[in-house]
Order: sequence, then structure tokens, then C-alpha cells
Amino acid sequence: MIAVLGLVVGVVAGLLVRPEVPAVVEPYLPIAVVAALDAVFGGLRAMLDGIFDDKVFVVSFLSNVVVAALIVFLGDKLGVGAQLSTGVVVVLGIRIFSNAAAIRRHVFRA
Amino acid sequence: MSDDDKSDSKNGSKSDGRNDPGEARLRAELPEEVPAAASEAVDGRTADVAAGEVPGPSLTGRQRLVKGLWPPRVTRAQLIVALLLFGLGFGLAVQVASTSDSDGALRGARQEDLVRILDELDDRTQRLEDEKQGLEDQRTELENSSDQAEEARKQTVEKERQLGILAGTVAAQGPGITLTIEDTKGTVEADMLLDAIQELRAAGAEAIQVNGVRVVAGTYLADEDGGGVSVDGNKIDAPYRFKVIGKPQDLEPALNIPGGVVQTLEKEQATATVERADKIVVDALRAAKQPDYARSSSR
Repeated sequence: MIAVLGLVVGVVAGLLVRPEVPAVVEPYLPIAVVAALDAVFGGLRAMLDGIFDDKVFVVSFLSNVVVAALIVFLGDKLGVGAQLSTGVVVVLGIRIFSNAAAIRRHVFRA
Repeated sequence: MSDDDKSDSKNGSKSDGRNDPGEARLRAELPEEVPAAASEAVDGRTADVAAGEVPGPSLTGRQRLVKGLWPPRVTRAQLIVALLLFGLGFGLAVQVASTSDSDGALRGARQEDLVRILDELDDRTQRLEDEKQGLEDQRTELENSSDQAEEARKQTVEKERQLGILAGTVAAQGPGITLTIEDTKGTVEADMLLDAIQELRAAGAEAIQVNGVRVVAGTYLADEDGGGVSVDGNKIDAPYRFKVIGKPQDLEPALNIPGGVVQTLEKEQATATVERADKIVVDALRAAKQPDYARSSSR
């Protein structure tokens, strides 16, 4: 419950504050957000499976974000930033879908 | 990806190991990317558990979700997850807000895309500049040519007027003299008038008219029966009034020289008077005649 509140408060704060995204972070933010979403879905599925562990969640969340940002950074340096970030988004999207399917089975039993 | 799943699986084997080792083994053996099978296994397990009437630890996913949501428990795990989710929500909202800005299309673009867009804009600017330059050149050319056409037209008009004065098709005015020949005895003949006209022309007369008849290059004079003279077929009677445009200082002496026109006329009992005037108006006109055969050979 506190976690859901945290998410809601974060969205509201982001909409209200509307901070200027620093130029350094700007290319990595969207990918980082998608990676974090993937971690959140994974955590939700783990919780429904009854195997949720906060340490694992924190580590997977942070490592997802960092690795996603790193891949984009590396892609930019190699000159294939657009393609690589597309690839990252596709992979994360597949994971999010599979996690969402598991969640769906738990919640709707279908 | 696989790392995350593995850690989840390990976690699962750890937590579920105490209750159901077989389930943990099953989960560990399952392929990672087949959530359907896994969840079916879980569902099957849940059904078994429900059939076995074991309450508490093995809840369904839905019950776990409800339990997690309510009542709210302030634990370290909840707080850390809340912090992370706060960060996620914040980033999400910021990204959505910055993408939906008016300049979002450029803000979200990558560096190479921006460079490409810039190049395209430069190319387009270059093309438009070239086009503008071409159009301006064209305009300048047209202006010049229309200026030239206007100048040519002015010159043509000017020339037409000059030629019109010579041809007698337009009126003329300017300084000059009037020559009046009184012929009380009827002794003046056409050749005398012709002599006067020749003398005037030789002295630089530019436009001449006699009693309302314009004298031009093709003018002829003839004696008429019963006195009088015809000029170009128009009969005129004494006194003969010449209106002459030219330089008065040249025309008057030319008539008055000894043995000249005036003396010759006086010898014939006619009187000739010459008067200078600052403004002589030669307004007798002659119709412009289109030549039947002669054509301009210029051009």
C-alpha cells in the first residue's frame, strides 16, 4: 500500500514540479523508465507468486535502470544508439508482457 | 533479463523451499520464458493446497495482493519499494511532460537525428536561397529590360516628333521670322517664292509655312492662271506670309543680302518685309503619307 502511494505521489510530484530534465540524463530517462517498469512488473509477479523479496526487487530495479542507461550510452558512443535503444525497449517490452500475463493469471485466473 | 529471472527463481526456491520443495524444484526446472506453464503450475499447486485444506502460508495470488494492499504496513521493504516507485513515477511523469511539450519532437530526438534534421534544414535553406537569388536576378533583368524598352520608346517618340516637324505632320514653335511679301502689281511668280524658300532653307530654316500651307521637302510651287501661286496644289494669293522657324540672326540677313530675295522682289515692284519674332507658331499640318513602295531598309 505504501508502495502504491509512493508511485502515485511520484507521478503527482513529477506533473506538478515539471523539472527541466538535464541534458546529460535526457537520452537515458525514457529507457530507464521502461526498465524500471519492467522491474516493477517483475516484482508484482513475484509478490503474487508469494516469492517477493525486497532486496531482490531493489537490486533488480536499480540494475535494470543502470544497465538500460549503460546500453544506451554505449550505443550512442558506438553510433548505434537509436537501434540499440529500440532493441532494449523491445526486450523489456517482451518481459513486461510475459510478467503481465503471469499477473493476469493470478488476478483473473484466466 | 535472465539474471533477474534467475534471482527471482532462486528467491522462489528459497522462500517456497520450506513449504513445498517439490514446487521449488518444478519451478527451477521450468523454462524461464514460459510464464503460462509456470502460472499453471502455480495454479495447480494452489488447487492442491486448497484441496489439502492447508490455510495461511499458501495463499492465492489474489489474496496475497489484497493482503499486501490492506492494511498498510510500514515496513523497511515497503518504504524502500515506495521510494523506488516514487522515483519511477517521477521519471515517468517528467518524461511524459517533456515529451508532450510543444517542442517535444526535437526534445526527444537523438543527437544524430538532430544533426540530420539540421542538415536537411540547411539544404532546404540553401535551395530556397538559390531559388530566391534566381528570382531576384530574373526580376532585375525584367526591370532592366522594361527600363530599356521605356527608354527606347521615349527615344522613338522624340525622334517621331523631330521627324514630324521635318515632315510637317506636327505643329512646331520656336524663334524665327515672318516674311511678308506684298504683291500689288501681280508680278510675283512661283519661282521667286521658291527662291525665297530655298534661301530660307539654306539659312537653316526648320519649319516653314506659307499662308497656311506647310512647306516640306516634297513641296512644289506653280503659277496659277490669273495670278496667284499654288503650293502643293493649294492656291494662295498675295500677300504671301511666310512663317519660318529658325535662327533669326541667320534668316534675316540671308534674305536681306544684296542681290538676295528682298532686293529681287523689290526690283519686281513687290515689297518684302522681314520681322523677327521670339515665338513663331507653325501649325499648318500635312497628312503623313504612307509610301506605297518604299520600305525602310533598316533592320
